[in-house]
Amino acid sequence: MDDGMKELGDHIAAASGATTGVSVRLGELMLETTPDKVVALLTFLRDDPKCLFKQLVDVCGVDWPEREKRFDVVYNLLSLAKNQRIRVKVATDETTPVPSAAAVYSSASWFERETYDLYGVWFADHPDLRRILTDYGFEGHPMRKDFPLTGFVEVRWDDVQKRVVYEPVKLTQEFRKFDFLSPWEGGIERMLPGDEKATKAS
Amino acid sequence: MGVITPAQSNSVNPAADAALSRALNDELADKGFVVAQLDKLVNWARSGSLWGLTFGLACCGVEMIHCWMSRYDLDRFGVAPMPSPRSADVMIVAGTLTNKMAPALRKVYDQMAEPRYVISMGSCANGGGYYHYSYAVVRGCDRVVPVDIYVPGCPPTAEALLYGVLQLQKKVRRVGTLVR
Amino acid sequence: MADVEIKTLTMNFGPQHPAAHGVLRLVVEMDGEIVERCDPHIGLLHRGTEKLIEYKSFLQAVPYFDRLDYVSPMNQEHAYALAVEKLLGITVPERGQYIRVLFSEVTRILNHLLNVTTFAMDVGALTPPLWGFEQRELLMEFYEGVSGARMHAAYFRPGGVHQDLPEGMLDAMERWIAQFYPFLKDIESLLNDNRIFRQRTVDIGVVSKEQALDWAFSGPMIRASGLAWDLRKSQPYDVYDRMEFDIPVGKTGDCFARYLVRVEEMYQSARIMEQCVKALRTVKGPVRIDDRKIAPPRRAEMKGSMEALIHHFKLYTEGYKVPAGETYTAVEAPKGEFAVYLVSDGTNKPYRCKIRAPGFPHLQALDMMTRGHMLADMSANIGSLDIVFGEIDR
Repeated sequence: MDDGMKELGDHIAAASGATTGVSVRLGELMLETTPDKVVALLTFLRDDPKCLFKQLVDVCGVDWPEREKRFDVVYNLLSLAKNQRIRVKVATDETTPVPSAAAVYSSASWFERETYDLYGVWFADHPDLRRILTDYGFEGHPMRKDFPLTGFVEVRWDDVQKRVVYEPVKLTQEFRKFDFLSPWEGGIERMLPGDEKATKAS
Repeated sequence: MGVITPAQSNSVNPAADAALSRALNDELADKGFVVAQLDKLVNWARSGSLWGLTFGLACCGVEMIHCWMSRYDLDRFGVAPMPSPRSADVMIVAGTLTNKMAPALRKVYDQMAEPRYVISMGSCANGGGYYHYSYAVVRGCDRVVPVDIYVPGCPPTAEALLYGVLQLQKKVRRVGTLVR
Repeated sequence: MADVEIKTLTMNFGPQHPAAHGVLRLVVEMDGEIVERCDPHIGLLHRGTEKLIEYKSFLQAVPYFDRLDYVSPMNQEHAYALAVEKLLGITVPERGQYIRVLFSEVTRILNHLLNVTTFAMDVGALTPPLWGFEQRELLMEFYEGVSGARMHAAYFRPGGVHQDLPEGMLDAMERWIAQFYPFLKDIESLLNDNRIFRQRTVDIGVVSKEQALDWAFSGPMIRASGLAWDLRKSQPYDVYDRMEFDIPVGKTGDCFARYLVRVEEMYQSARIMEQCVKALRTVKGPVRIDDRKIAPPRRAEMKGSMEALIHHFKLYTEGYKVPAGETYTAVEAPKGEFAVYLVSDGTNKPYRCKIRAPGFPHLQALDMMTRGHMLADMSANIGSLDIVFGEIDR
């Protein structure tokens, strides 16, 4: 199974010339490419007789704030003819636009709108790049790692103004976040008495 | 001819109910009319035909439909589903209320005629529930509309909603007045 | 007579509308009663599920999947459980797999019953929902039997299912299946040759094979357009490869074909249930993996064993760490391909959990499907799309 995938990946890399990396992990084939070549690659994947990835089943973003190009745009494709899935990844940042795939796959339009809405990835030449999921007039991109879980505003009916008003979030109880990565719950930063001996010994 | 005294329906004591109805019948047969207080009569009539505005927002909406379908049959309490807010008496907010939906919910509520009641169904409508800390969710629909009855659960079973409706009927009979 | 210029009418549909199946808002541009363009506004039920999942441990995230597509809860747990299991590199015991397949099919019937009957209600028939919902109640009793909840079960967990079936459940299921076939015949007799139903659905919202591929259709939607594609057959998971069932395929790709496909799928699901019930009578053993680092110990065990108690405490506070990696795992949910794109960075919380909802691309195609139809056909189209806003808006 994995050998066949590797073969297919190498074929795509050689024939399209638009990839920067091919890998097979957990039985899933993944290609990496750059924003300027992504449309060419997707068109190739759709039309090549060995690929025939006729369906773009999903487009989504992933945020890696510590990276220089902080966003991954992930395209998941499916070939019904070959019963094969493939994943295409493009790295980008807040300012670099990714060309829209809406001309290649009609289904891309809303998926890209959603990615724009949640991550703020800009898609060039998109026919209708509006917010799709978040509130009308929403500010910010909620799925970014630096966006707080509870957001910035909450709504309330104002009996004086006779309309629904937006106010800064005021929680009666904070969201309890436990840091289990540190042996000390709550993530104590400072050294506890006796810790210096433990690090010396090891 | 005549009017009927506010019946104590849903009573726990069927024997008392039977006795009351026998006394009522006797009085009718004897005098041809019975006397009742008008506001109580109006409240009784109101509680017997609470048309519910089906505001199915999320998961609870499915349980709400179940409550109206064959097994639980909410219609037998006079609570008929009514999609139009203008002819509905009680709004059942069934599901998560989001920031984007809040103005629409209030608009629908404003369109309802007085007297109007609101049942908040499920944890999300009661206080945000499982989505309390989300950036997009209103932490309780009582921030937007006044709520009469809270039905807890995620989702409340159809039975729980039925109980909530019966509680609302009780409340209408207890606190309802002609002039609001 | 001079030409009269007619301005197109822009109409707002929803978000509170009984035929919208939830909180759909459509902005429709119309020429008289003909729909020229429709722009669905979604997100009115956007609850930030994906963001919340990033803040919960892997086990705590399971119930969010129930609440996505709240008409077919267990199928979505299934996708998530499979994704986590793939990253962990574990396999579920055989009995657990059979139970999962059994309840996936229960869920499929639950979903199709709701869709077929409310679709009929959208185009004017009230009897099918009254009958169908009683069957749903019976199926919900099975849900209640295994998990204690009528809808949001949180029954499929990474590593298996939470509990074994209670005693007598298999017999009850057998009885239920026996009465389900004649019931389905009754529903068909109400709708198949119903003149009004046919007039409202035949040749409405026709989707060709090419369109179905281009718009990323899946599930009954793509099958109704004539493509025999079912993930249970082509990329089988759990024990679906041992099940014998057929894939119904529609010929015309209109609303009526989608209805027919769903009805036939219910027969097939009942068939799979029969086979699972039969297999479960002989396949014994654990229903979840015997790894105390992933699956919690039994309550009885905790009464006597200190180690079990520690494991339980650690699992329900810290959870388990999932090795770094990413996977796109899809299942054939009743509405189509439901998938989870899960990225783990080696901690006890998902780094990213993208939920691929089948209804999202389906609703996107609504504009293409309704263009040129009458306004009244819009509700037939929406009904046949089988959309649920929990999963579309997430």
